[in-house]
Amino acid sequence: MDTATQRKWDAASRSFDFISFGDDHRLGPHKRRLFAKMHGAILMVAAGTGNDFRFFPTGQSILAIDISPRMLERAEKKAAQYQGKIELRQMDVCQLQLPDSSFDSVVTVCTFCSVPEPVVGLRELYRVLKPGGHILMFEHVRSRIGPLGIFLDLMTPLSRRVGPDLNRDTVGNVQKAGFRIRREENVYLDIVKSIEGVKDQ
Amino acid sequence: MLFVIGDYLAGMMVGALTAIGVRAVIWPGMDMVVAMIVGMAIGMAIHLVFGLIFAPLIGMFNAMIPASLIGMYGGMFFGMRDSMAAGSRTLGAAIAVGVVFGAIVVAGVEYYDRTLRGAVVDSGY
Repeated sequence: MDTATQRKWDAASRSFDFISFGDDHRLGPHKRRLFAKMHGAILMVAAGTGNDFRFFPTGQSILAIDISPRMLERAEKKAAQYQGKIELRQMDVCQLQLPDSSFDSVVTVCTFCSVPEPVVGLRELYRVLKPGGHILMFEHVRSRIGPLGIFLDLMTPLSRRVGPDLNRDTVGNVQKAGFRIRREENVYLDIVKSIEGVKDQ
Repeated sequence: MLFVIGDYLAGMMVGALTAIGVRAVIWPGMDMVVAMIVGMAIGMAIHLVFGLIFAPLIGMFNAMIPASLIGMYGGMFFGMRDSMAAGSRTLGAAIAVGVVFGAIVVAGVEYYDRTLRGAVVDSGY
């Protein structure tokens, strides 16, 4: 278990709902549209305080993991309100204690901006997905627009201290982990994206 | 709609505060290059503080990205202007220009966002 990352997100859990209030309301419809594609056995990575549970289609059975026990404590109430089943478990995405080929869908929300070794984590998700399964990601990435990309590079040493990196090439990392990109959609500029990757049969 | 109004209000406020901050530090006759660099630094500091204040209300990136452009470029432009003592002779006029500049940058970012929005890759299967 990566204890440094765990401590960082334990600390962030106190203000997480306040900081993400605007994003949750503004980006909710985009998340709901993406998550409508989830089916079968579902793994949610980095559940956080459970703010995204309300955007899941009802009636699903979901295993939601997070590295931070403080985040999971805050997620308990929201998991109980979900009209379906959400099991919460503390786990590091880079060391998943889950069998191979056991999920049909994997969901991530602003996760791989924060995982210290993103390709390792994505390879773990590739391992636990069934062949033909898909990964649904709502992530922010480095902009390819000149000044914005430089700005995100400059801000990352600051943002990394309390939260995520702002300059990750998550689409490239998904491909490096073995997924085929089925759909990539810009939600805000070319920074906030929904990404759908497939583990081919 | 409320978020769009919030975007403009946040942008106009960052523009106004950048104009005030630059006017407080840059004096007429200051070397223009130094004034532009100092103005940019002031604008970036203001954007960081006020971008973070607005982020919980309108969203992290929707607050920070326009604010960064307003702070960075506004700080440089206002620094250049104030070092030359060119135009905006009163603080009120400088603030008004900052507000207009902020609104124009937000409009530009919103337009650019609309052109970029949507599928980049869609293999369909």
